Amino acid sequence: MATTFQRIDTLHTTELAEGVEIQLRSAGPLLRIIAWLLDTFVIIGVLMLVGILALVVQLSSVLGDGGTNIASGVQMLASFFIFWLYPVVFEAGKRGATIGKRATGLRVVNEAGTQIGWGQSMIRNFLRMIEVFLPLLPLVSFFHPRFRRLGDLAAGTYVVYERSLPTIPLSGPPALETVPIPISLSREEQAAILAFRDRSAHWSEARRAELVDHLHPLTGARGNQGVEKVLGMGRWLEERS
Amino acid sequence: MNRQEFEAKNEEKWADLDLKLRLLEGGHKVEGLAKVPALFREVARDLSLAQYRMFGDRVIGRLNDLAIQGHRLFASTKGLAGEGALSFVLRKFPQAIRREQRLFWLSSLLFWGPFFLMWFSTKMDITWVQALLGPQQLSDIESMYGEEDTVAYLRQQFGSNFQMFAHYIQNNVGIDFMLYAGGLVYGLGTIYILVINGLSIGGVVGYVDYAGDPEKLWSFVAGHSSFELLGMVVVAMAGLKLGFAMLAPGQLKRGVAMAKAGRDGLPFLIGGSCLTALAAVVEGFWSAQIVPVETKYTVGIFFWVLHFLYFAFAGRGRSEA
Repeated sequence: MATTFQRIDTLHTTELAEGVEIQLRSAGPLLRIIAWLLDTFVIIGVLMLVGILALVVQLSSVLGDGGTNIASGVQMLASFFIFWLYPVVFEAGKRGATIGKRATGLRVVNEAGTQIGWGQSMIRNFLRMIEVFLPLLPLVSFFHPRFRRLGDLAAGTYVVYERSLPTIPLSGPPALETVPIPISLSREEQAAILAFRDRSAHWSEARRAELVDHLHPLTGARGNQGVEKVLGMGRWLEERS
Repeated sequence: MNRQEFEAKNEEKWADLDLKLRLLEGGHKVEGLAKVPALFREVARDLSLAQYRMFGDRVIGRLNDLAIQGHRLFASTKGLAGEGALSFVLRKFPQAIRREQRLFWLSSLLFWGPFFLMWFSTKMDITWVQALLGPQQLSDIESMYGEEDTVAYLRQQFGSNFQMFAHYIQNNVGIDFMLYAGGLVYGLGTIYILVINGLSIGGVVGYVDYAGDPEKLWSFVAGHSSFELLGMVVVAMAGLKLGFAMLAPGQLKRGVAMAKAGRDGLPFLIGGSCLTALAAVVEGFWSAQIVPVETKYTVGIFFWVLHFLYFAFAGRGRSEA
């Protein structure tokens, strides 16, 4: 029985055959657009490289007339494969990511977080061509709770972070006191307080205070005093378990 | 047991599994391989416990990654290389076509309807095809199937056989993929490309009848026509399936209906584009060879009959899996 994090996070819970529940962290549109741009640069770069190579062969005419024909034929085939099949092959591979996705820490997976098949990869990548062509279609993914675009829906795939949860290099401010919580909280609410404690090191003081001010009815304090209280509540929750 | 005790107690076990999974993923040998699944199940249990006790992102995140990694390894479904491809060609592809016969005829109608319409329009009024194809394309057709020698014309345009083959792969298989993707606009993109192709191919046939030498055209296209036209019609089936799923998802949610249409349409996408790729092979290496016209017609008819037999009978009686 896992906690539902859906309202405080982009995590999504799936139950595996082992009876255990894993959490996949869906990737948002911004990072995916960056990954797509990177891939577009890679494709354009390789196409130009192939073009230059073919041109050199044709101009130097080392291979004679037949060589020129072969060079331009190879160029056409290479363009076809790079343009259409580069993302298909990379995403169906072990890493489940194109070069752009790998650089941004993303990965394409199945419902259960496993490697996708060739067919799935073909579907999601071919359909992207029409989604890019009609610029409104990619916006659909903004409204999907797991940021899936139409190609993802048809292929049954998800784009997630390679690491399911952020690694937390910094430890937040320590709680100075233990503050008991006067009312009973649901598991999700408890989880929210603990998550605040775990992640607070990444935020500025003002942001922490802003978030905690929402809990004013519970803490009876605002600003830094409120932050102290909530951290104390986190400590109380942890000590109790 | 609080978080610190939990971590301290199990740290060694987690690090052990982490190392073993990494080694296995890299294809290395691992000592005590038989114990890895049991170790994995133990860690999966740790994850459940950590989630229940809310031990925080750091512990849960780490165990979660281990569980996903392990599941990836244990749940991988790789058959023998080539096994899947063989059963696809011998069984699954023709079975899928027979299962979706109505869709096949609909897709065929969307191509052949405009094809014959445009062809017969040239008998009535030649201006239709002139408006559709434009002067540049018409003069190309005239030089290709007119006084000049067709094969010599193609040689001059494309250089070698290999170059022709490469051109047709890039062009025609690319069109197939767009044909499929067009299904995403409620099927309209697929229908549009299919109809336009029907109109312009029918227009070419009609115009050659009118202004050129039909025998040159037929002897050139006979060999690869079955592969190319059936390939296009079959890929369009996959696109239409997607379009229907979006338009009328029935009792399913739209997303679920699309996933089903994607899965069910996959054989048509793969099979159809393979047919088109084969068409490029035939077109590049056979259709432009200098062979008696009768031989070319015979080969063309042979391939059409072969396709019919394949779609009608291949894999019949075998269980559909």
